[in-house]
Amino acid sequence: MATLPPSAWDREKAGVLLQRAGFGGTPQEVEGLAGMQPWQAADSLLGSPDLAQAEPPASIRKPSLNDKLRTERNRLKLLDPKTREEKQREIFRALRAEQEKRLTDLRGWWFERMANPATAAREKVVLFLHGHFATSEEKVKNPALLYQQNQMFREKALGSWSDLVLGVAKDPAMLIYLDGARSRPEQPNENFARELFELFTLGEGNYTEKDIQEAARAFTGWSVRLQPRPGEVMDEETHVPSFVDNSRWHDGKSKKVFGKTGNFDGADVVRLTLQQPAAARWITGKLWRFYTGSSPTEELHQELVEAWSENKGLLRPFLQAMWTHPAFYSPAVALQRVKSPVEWLVGLCRQLERPLPAPALASEITTQLGQKLFAPPNVKGWDGGITWINTASLQRRYEYASWLVGGTQGVRDLAGMDLGRMAVQSGLVEIPTPMVEGEIKDDTSFKKELAEKRKAAARQARELLAISPTPLTPLAPPEDRQEPDRLVSRLTTRLLPGESTPPELQARFRKAAGETAPLNDASVRQTVLAIVQSPVYQLG
Amino acid sequence: MKELGLKTRREFLRTGLLGGSLCWTVPGFLQNTMLSLHAAADGQLVSGVTGKDGNILVVLQLAGGNDGLNTVVPFGNDDYRRARPTLGLSEKQVLRLGPKEKVGLHPALAGLAKSYEAGDLAVVQGVGYPNPNRSHFRSTEIWATATDAERSSSTGWIGRYFDNACAGCDAAVGVTLGSQTPQAFAAKTPKGVLYEAGGRRRRLGADGEPESDGSMTMAMEADGEDGPAGGSIGDIAGSSGKIDALDFLERTEMDVQVTQKEIAAASGRGKNGVPYPGSWLGNQFALISRLIAGGLKTRIYYVSQGGYDTHTGQAGAHDRLLREMGDAVSAFLADLKAQGNLGRVTLMTFSEFGRRVKENASGGTDHGAAAPLFLAGGGVTAGLLGEMPSLAPRDLDDGDIKFNVDFRSVYATVLEKHLGVKSDPILGRAFPLLKAYG
Repeated sequence: MATLPPSAWDREKAGVLLQRAGFGGTPQEVEGLAGMQPWQAADSLLGSPDLAQAEPPASIRKPSLNDKLRTERNRLKLLDPKTREEKQREIFRALRAEQEKRLTDLRGWWFERMANPATAAREKVVLFLHGHFATSEEKVKNPALLYQQNQMFREKALGSWSDLVLGVAKDPAMLIYLDGARSRPEQPNENFARELFELFTLGEGNYTEKDIQEAARAFTGWSVRLQPRPGEVMDEETHVPSFVDNSRWHDGKSKKVFGKTGNFDGADVVRLTLQQPAAARWITGKLWRFYTGSSPTEELHQELVEAWSENKGLLRPFLQAMWTHPAFYSPAVALQRVKSPVEWLVGLCRQLERPLPAPALASEITTQLGQKLFAPPNVKGWDGGITWINTASLQRRYEYASWLVGGTQGVRDLAGMDLGRMAVQSGLVEIPTPMVEGEIKDDTSFKKELAEKRKAAARQARELLAISPTPLTPLAPPEDRQEPDRLVSRLTTRLLPGESTPPELQARFRKAAGETAPLNDASVRQTVLAIVQSPVYQLG
Repeated sequence: MKELGLKTRREFLRTGLLGGSLCWTVPGFLQNTMLSLHAAADGQLVSGVTGKDGNILVVLQLAGGNDGLNTVVPFGNDDYRRARPTLGLSEKQVLRLGPKEKVGLHPALAGLAKSYEAGDLAVVQGVGYPNPNRSHFRSTEIWATATDAERSSSTGWIGRYFDNACAGCDAAVGVTLGSQTPQAFAAKTPKGVLYEAGGRRRRLGADGEPESDGSMTMAMEADGEDGPAGGSIGDIAGSSGKIDALDFLERTEMDVQVTQKEIAAASGRGKNGVPYPGSWLGNQFALISRLIAGGLKTRIYYVSQGGYDTHTGQAGAHDRLLREMGDAVSAFLADLKAQGNLGRVTLMTFSEFGRRVKENASGGTDHGAAAPLFLAGGGVTAGLLGEMPSLAPRDLDDGDIKFNVDFRSVYATVLEKHLGVKSDPILGRAFPLLKAYG
């Protein structure tokens, strides 16, 4: 595969690499990458393998309310139907609140790893995998399982593709999300087999309906153990349901998949699938689109497929080959890639050298912009590209950018955001659980307690979630403030690395800087804002 | 995301949120630069065929594959009863569409049954296309692009309508209620804006709906998720790379400036004359009605309700979905009637496919093929259109219903008879028209 000659490697390309392979960064980081050889730069971004190890946020490890509530079921039965229904609803809310809190912790934890220069590039692969093997908490309803899947992605992100696909096929969250856990020989569920072929590995037109039906039979028996049997401890630490290979639920008869016949199981199907010629084309095309925002030309796609085979389907060397290919930096692919909301948020904070917003607010921001982590819209994941942009989302990007640059002081109640929910997500309000441990509380006192807690929490949330203004010292040192032109040039280099700015936008930025030198803080902020509130900033 | 029980619904228009803070968040000079740069050149401020009294199409997508057989139910059919031992609806349960008709509506569709009696609703039976595809995404794309199943297109049928008939219109000629531009809007010159009324999308089977066995530990019933909705504009536009991303962003920035105020103003002028159900969908229809009453020059409104992928535990979930849909639509029709706008509006439902005739072992149904759809509005000739396809096993296509009416005949009819444009430049060729309009 073609490789960028070291002589062609410069700051501009290093900036593009840092943005696309990771989440962007500071001019110093760009400088550092520019001083290396291209391959070395790609290698340094991916870092050492032990960076895949990650302790989960503490709340994920705690026993869930789920387990306590299991024991409450018998007590519920003693109540009259009307009260029982009401209590169940309250329990549901308490449980949901707990899940919200855990998911928010998980998102915040992941955002921090993305914003960490040492782990950013690996986390970008994990983000790709999350969209590719899309799995949503809205169906799985268990944050611990989503963490488990996310960590599996992290550990296998730079390893072999077949190992990863097999890991997904056995992943409890996926088994629940695509109904594999319920599939039985007498009525095999085709959902997972269909998406495995259509979305995960081959693409439409590269399999038959019959292949799906037969593959679905092969996957029967791969399921999830929901609850410990009497006297059995499932997983003391986390109470997480685990993968189980249940031979009683496996269809042991012969199957014919992709023309081969045998008494196949799920691992056989994964192997046969990845042997299909379409498999390498599918994943290489998808990775290229994710990292560059456009489809490879036919010629380039063939090169990518060759590189994939040469590297035996190992992700790390393939990514490095892709990132050092001249076409990765060609003008044809410049200005085609729209940053996803998560990239936009993490990247903006990194470039501004400011901390991320509190987890509840960070995840609300990306959610409002169309990307709610652990809740992709469907099994196809996020469509990406220009679908991130519409009149509503672009308006919101501009507004949130103003919060991050200028702070939220004076923004009344974080317009459009749900403070009450964010208070729960931040753990500021503990929803009392009506049943657990002790008396069944009567309704009046329960509701009163809840209302008071919520009020106090919303007040606290306003403080906790407030965003401070971005410190300007690193962005605009005194020497840069002497001349508006110089400041604009420094800021565009920082914020739009590797992008060529259309002249009318350049004029817009210059106008924001004003004519007074040295520039005061307000003018600096106005200039930063003009750059990040522009069409070109949404690309990268 | 599921509601927490905190009373925190945002009942206001989320997309209008900038309001007074516009000066800070979108610098004032932006308006000058962007408008002067593009508006004149594009003629975007000139309104074309969309006079405020023009006809309007409202598209309601039932995403996930609605079970047509349990929507318009052939209650007397023995094959139906045999294939649906637990999910089948009986003559007593359904809302019959007249004494002679052999089909009736699902009991949750009481509102639509009234519209049918009032003469404002037509049921088109057996709608589909040759060589049906059972993938959500591909089938949604086929409906969106209106191509043959074997072909693909980089534009959607609504987008081609805009390209053909509304070249000079401003972006608000198409309004999507929701957060994603539908694939059907993909066009050479993309048009359409997004707007959404408040309220959360309901997550069925979750809040306040205790699951059947009282277990909250692992809610594996499939009726929890919203998707798979599929079919956003990027499926074609984004991957083909035909639309320049920077150009698209610049246009969108301008649309923000021009249209958001216009829409907010129209929604402020319009008033709802009837109460709407409090569901997310009810809120969207209430907003569409206000926008129509407020005189917005929109030709096509598009709204999508998800959750129809009922592989497991269908009975309760499908009932709730249809009730939410039917109640919202019948309130909308009543409101339009009160405004005197019902004659200008046609509402068309569609779903990417129906479901398999035979129910599965999980109390649900799997992906199928042909299914009925609804056309509603003052100009629509009420009644049943198209034949109910045979359900006899020998007449099925691998267990699925064969179509009698090509969905493009429905599009062609709406385009020609309601929107008043020639359909073959939009649909690629002529399709037989239905007798849906008087």
